[in-house]
Amino acid sequence: MWLSYLHHIESRERPVVDRTPRPVTIIVPVYNEETLIAAALRSLLALDYPAFDVLVVDDGSTDRTLERAASLEGRYGPVTLRVVSKVNGGKASALNTGIALARTPYVLCMDGDCRLARGTLRSAMRHFDDARVGAVAGNVKVVNRTNIWTRLQALEYIEGLNMARRAQGFLRVVNIIPGPIGIFRVDVLRQVGGYDTDTYAEDADLTLKILTAGWHVRYEGRAIAWTEAPEDFLDLIKQRYRWTRGILQALRKRSSWLASPRGGLAVWGSLLAMLFEAILWPAVNVFGNLLFAIAALSVGVPSNIFYWWVLLTMLDVAAAVYTVAMEEEDLALLPYAVVYRFLFITMIDVAKLFATVEEAANVRMTWGKLARIGRT
Amino acid sequence: MDTLLSTIILVTFLVTIIMAIGSYAAYKLRESRRPGIEEPPPGDESLYYERILVEGEDGPDRRE
Repeated sequence: MWLSYLHHIESRERPVVDRTPRPVTIIVPVYNEETLIAAALRSLLALDYPAFDVLVVDDGSTDRTLERAASLEGRYGPVTLRVVSKVNGGKASALNTGIALARTPYVLCMDGDCRLARGTLRSAMRHFDDARVGAVAGNVKVVNRTNIWTRLQALEYIEGLNMARRAQGFLRVVNIIPGPIGIFRVDVLRQVGGYDTDTYAEDADLTLKILTAGWHVRYEGRAIAWTEAPEDFLDLIKQRYRWTRGILQALRKRSSWLASPRGGLAVWGSLLAMLFEAILWPAVNVFGNLLFAIAALSVGVPSNIFYWWVLLTMLDVAAAVYTVAMEEEDLALLPYAVVYRFLFITMIDVAKLFATVEEAANVRMTWGKLARIGRT
Repeated sequence: MDTLLSTIILVTFLVTIIMAIGSYAAYKLRESRRPGIEEPPPGDESLYYERILVEGEDGPDRRE
């Protein structure tokens, strides 16, 4: 929390200033997004930045995505919107195609079902004034706050994911540039070989490649991507299951780096933090709660444990107030902090534990695709 | 009082864990009943592409 606060102060003290714009290509990988694609592309054309192109990469959609995107192809003032199509190969290969075709020294990689805030590029591109910065992670927010699960996810993105990313950003070692919004130097992407297709968390894997190549990765809270979160709890489980296995696959590729800080303390710390987040913390949370429940019954100290629960909940509420205020977010999310730790996080952690066991056992998995309704 | 607190702690924990495991089982059951999208084996993907619209270099000027 302290590091995230320092990042917040640092961000506020570095105003967005107009200088010669760095040209960017926004790469939009799409697969069966016919309900969202037209509105998503129109929203990109409204971005407040003087030098960008949009490149849609259709990953072999079987619906009318390609037709709808192609109908918008052309020039819009200074912005060129191009559409290309390839055989289905997954998001990573679609992004690699986009990177290969980009005509600018910077690219913004996003998800086809996301919307970007108008000032995203203007806020993010200033970080590249520092020649050591290879990439910038943006701020992902939940747009469809329609039920308890999506509101809890909205709070989780603010209180959990973004606060951690903000703290890592202060240290210049953001360890996951989120799939919905990441801005990169094209030279860096080519140096590290772009996205690999051998994990289910291509964003985490690419970030680790950039960090281990010695580049800084920063976080920009004003570069916002609005994403549609899973509304159904089973879809949420599916998403987190894939995230966990993907992160473990990315870590397994660098298992030798985990053993010693030969690549530098910052990278080593990032890898250990990912391992902690994926395996250790879920196990401690679930089994710790089990231990306390048993202790309450068998040792006879229920009041101590009950007050400990209350105290933890109060800390969660305090963290929620702090982060929601920092991001100038919706105060209506705060009541959800009461059930955030003991209900939501515990249920997610159980799925993470199962995912860890199945990854260790090498159980076959498929990518799948979450149903999007088009609320963005 | 201790009995009440013990009951609250136990019931809360058990309900959460049962919901979590039940949800996971339901997710696995659902996934087993519908076909997923198979990822191509690593290195076996095709990266060819084609332009959909080639009119000049950048397509038609949409600025009105």
